[in-house]
Amino acid sequence: MADLLGRLLTDLGERSTYDAVSQCSRCGYCEQACPTYVATGLEAQSPRGRNQILRLMIEGKLDDPKAAQEALSTCLLCGACTTACYARVPVADLALEGRRMLRGKTHWLVRLATRIMISHRGLFAFLLKTAFLLKRTGLSKLGRPFLRVSGFSVLAAMDAHTEDAPLTNLDDELGGQAAPAAPAWRYFAPCGPRYLMPRVGLATWKALQALKGPGAYLDNPCCGLLAYNYGELAHARELAKKNIVHAEKNGTEPIIGDCSSCVAFLKSYPQLFLEPGDGAWKERASVFAARVRDVVEIYGECAQMLPSGEVGAETTYHDSCRALNGQCLKNEPRRAAKALAGSAYCEMPGADTCCGGAGAFGFVHEELSEALLRKKVGNAASVQAGVILTSSTSCLTQLAHGLRKYYPEAKVLHLSEFVAGALDKNRGA
Amino acid sequence: MRLSELRSQVSAGSLLSSPADLAVYSYDGALDRARPDAVLVARSIEDIRRAVAWCAGAKVPFVARGAGTNLSGGCIPLRGGLVIVLSRLNRILSLDAAARVACVEPGVVNLDLQTQAEAVGLFYAPDPASLKVSTIGGNAAENAGGPRCLKYGVTTNHVLAVEAVMPDGTLARFSHEDDGPELLSLLIGSEGTLGVLTKLWVRLTPIPEETRTLLAGFPSIDAAVSCVSAIIAAGILPRCLEAMDRPTVESVEAGRPLGYPKDPAVLLIELDGDRAACAREAAAIDEIGRSCGATSMRAATDPAERELLWQGRRGAYAALARLAPNVLVEDGVVPRDKLPDIVRRIQQISAKHRVKSYLLFHAGDGNIHPNIVYDERDKEQVLRVKAAGHEMLQACVELGGSLSGEHGIGIDKRDAMAWLFTPETLRLFHRVKDAVDPAHIANPDKLFPLPGAASTEKSFIRPPAAELSEYARLLVDKVREGAARKTFFRVRGASTRWNAPTPDGAVELLTTGLGRIVELDRRNYTLTVEAGVAVQELHRELESQGVFVRLPKCGGTVGGLLAARAGGGLREDILGMRLLLSNGEVVELGGKVVKNVAGYDLSRLVLGSWGTYGVILEVTMKLHARPVPAAKAAPGVQPPRFSAWASTVRRAFDPGGRLNPGLVS
Repeated sequence: MADLLGRLLTDLGERSTYDAVSQCSRCGYCEQACPTYVATGLEAQSPRGRNQILRLMIEGKLDDPKAAQEALSTCLLCGACTTACYARVPVADLALEGRRMLRGKTHWLVRLATRIMISHRGLFAFLLKTAFLLKRTGLSKLGRPFLRVSGFSVLAAMDAHTEDAPLTNLDDELGGQAAPAAPAWRYFAPCGPRYLMPRVGLATWKALQALKGPGAYLDNPCCGLLAYNYGELAHARELAKKNIVHAEKNGTEPIIGDCSSCVAFLKSYPQLFLEPGDGAWKERASVFAARVRDVVEIYGECAQMLPSGEVGAETTYHDSCRALNGQCLKNEPRRAAKALAGSAYCEMPGADTCCGGAGAFGFVHEELSEALLRKKVGNAASVQAGVILTSSTSCLTQLAHGLRKYYPEAKVLHLSEFVAGALDKNRGA
Repeated sequence: MRLSELRSQVSAGSLLSSPADLAVYSYDGALDRARPDAVLVARSIEDIRRAVAWCAGAKVPFVARGAGTNLSGGCIPLRGGLVIVLSRLNRILSLDAAARVACVEPGVVNLDLQTQAEAVGLFYAPDPASLKVSTIGGNAAENAGGPRCLKYGVTTNHVLAVEAVMPDGTLARFSHEDDGPELLSLLIGSEGTLGVLTKLWVRLTPIPEETRTLLAGFPSIDAAVSCVSAIIAAGILPRCLEAMDRPTVESVEAGRPLGYPKDPAVLLIELDGDRAACAREAAAIDEIGRSCGATSMRAATDPAERELLWQGRRGAYAALARLAPNVLVEDGVVPRDKLPDIVRRIQQISAKHRVKSYLLFHAGDGNIHPNIVYDERDKEQVLRVKAAGHEMLQACVELGGSLSGEHGIGIDKRDAMAWLFTPETLRLFHRVKDAVDPAHIANPDKLFPLPGAASTEKSFIRPPAAELSEYARLLVDKVREGAARKTFFRVRGASTRWNAPTPDGAVELLTTGLGRIVELDRRNYTLTVEAGVAVQELHRELESQGVFVRLPKCGGTVGGLLAARAGGGLREDILGMRLLLSNGEVVELGGKVVKNVAGYDLSRLVLGSWGTYGVILEVTMKLHARPVPAAKAAPGVQPPRFSAWASTVRRAFDPGGRLNPGLVS
């Protein structure tokens, strides 16, 4: 018996997976919103196609697990189709349900990783640091062919994508601090800013201090998105519960995170508790979700407090899919970016299209991911952008990789870094 | 099917055949499904040509597919075979801003062309609701319309030339500039049953200086329709004239309050042109609206405000799509003055079948979209919804309208074609298909009732056309007699353009006796006139009545002018025709509705056929309340050389070549 959600919280209310997918009337109005359809022209790699494949699977009318797997696994989960859809069919959640139906056993490496993240966060941090040490010394590069032949091509690709590897993490930097008596907010540290790019977390911390007053480091468990997307629902639920309990013990202030993917997932926690008997947890998850804010929302709110300064380079914004489609945050980050960059701000074409990062997508479907990345970098270059702002770990990694490769004149920053940098400069002036 | 044979001829990796791949090419935007045997995702025109040639050799059916948003089942591979996907052929090959022409591959998305054109101050006029995803090739195959087609015309008015792979696998090019019959008009709207469009040259239009949007509420559908008629009669041609009924407005407002008036009918009117004209026309519409009983009137010129007014109209389908998993977007046309009648009929039919329908219509051209929400998984409900949809179409036909204004016939409405066309006309359609695609491999079993479907004699429910004039009957009798004796005929009007003597042994059919103005319909602004009327005389008569047609001012008869296609732009306003065939049958093509995509566009095809396809007895065309520019008649036209395809199609009309023999080579 596959481990499935079975029911989803859709824009039209709570629905069974089958009802949710049947809401797709095959009008096709989503097709051009889908980056993989636009790149391939293949119906099976379009939202409508994926919906129909899942529907046929549920109806028992499609016996082609290999092709179905290909169709569902190539979904970026970007959710652009849902934004385009009149009925807002939740294609990303449906594709994940389909993947779970097709998946025999979760890959042991993913199981191990999630297990470690649930119970042994210290070990996780240690392993990462070891990996980063290998990276720094260049040993990892030598190890790539070995990883590939031994079936860990994902790890090899990950290594190729990553350039700098920090040896300290956010817990080292912020973990020990005593919380103020009445913090105005609590910082949720997503794994990206926490372990991979602590510079982002530090920037968020600084910017929030300046804009919202003193806050507290939540020292949260991992959000569970990795398990939700690639692993087992039980693990995702376990992590969600841990987070809910942890947050309940830590005041009622807004919980602010700076990786839009994680934040969108935190906001969707209630969907994990739709089984009969889960009512109480659903309630608690709803209370939790209502506290969660994406840091880009805060910057949008505080746009008037942001200093406008000489930026020196054309600045543009790349929508993280989970901010735009997952949380409908289109104007908020732009309001902040425009306030900061002034006339140097420019919109790039296709800003709302996925960069191909999409979690582990870039490592699994390298070719497709690369095609989307090339297009994205081309769009940034078409407005001669020198700075690209965004708000997800995955986008940051992917765009940094793409810019290094195709357009080294530009750099990618988390909006937090841009905000904190301007605030710093302003204070210094 | 020996797929390996085909696979070796087309681009590597372009041929798909996994069960999942076949499953996702088994549907389009409607309900029907059928799986193909293989799918070709074409990478080049050469792929298409080779695939079609292979299909022709192996007698394998094929269906061309763009974005698959068809609403009448047109993309469904009913007999299996090959689906040819054009989505990857999506390059805009050229865009000439000075000449206002773009050359595109068939898979170019309508919106992408719009975006490129806008960058140079132009736009592509056809704007189907699906324009964000649907392709120019698909739009042309379906002869797509859209709200602003009221002023600018439908797709056929904007395609200048096409290149197509014909069902025999050969590549052909058709253009308005070709001599002879308008084969291009035959291909546009033929729903892929005559070939695959591989390249299209389309006309772009300058973006007008100003666009103004008005929103008006009316106490009844009748009042709104009388306002629409009054606007047209005042010589104002808005870019769009859209109407919504109260249930539709209510469902939009429920999701998102926009401040639409909650009246039984709402009109959204959009004007464009130079600033002064827009202001003048807006003032006039304001007055007309009030005199027709409008309860409210809002106007906007600012893009943001205009967008707000449009949100209600654009959001209507979205709002309905949320009410149930499926929405049947029915598509029918009636003469404009019959709109109140069709609305009442739709309401009765909905009640009878216990379905809830929401009305959206392009009021300016009588094109109605009753939308019925349902769940396709409820089989009993589906039956009721389908029955209601069919009765609504029947009502359209009974009121003198047509089965489709823009969505096409496909599978859904093929049987209903027998309601609209006489058995003689249907047989002609079949012969045209047989001539171009003798093996019936190009999108087979679409568009027309299947041979052997229920007797067509009884099904015909369209109001009978006016009696032929005495003189026309005389011509019919003459041709019938001649048909039995295999007589050759020389069709002759006023001999303005071709005065060669009638060959020995041939019987002369003089059309100058066809001298009636059959109907001048001021409510719908259409004119039906017999072919023998002199063009000059027609202009004089109409002008004395304050109405105008888009015909050059030249000598000769109307029939002669059209048969010789002696001037550019003649095709623009042609709505219908009665044509006498060499076998003595009279076929009725098109009708009084300005938007009509039911069946092949034979009334336009016949333009330039020089009497070799049939004798034009009468023609129906648009009337205008103001003088309209018409191209000058070409002086001294010579009978053309027919292309091979024109000769092939001629065999469908006149297999013995007995009309104007020897006129064309």
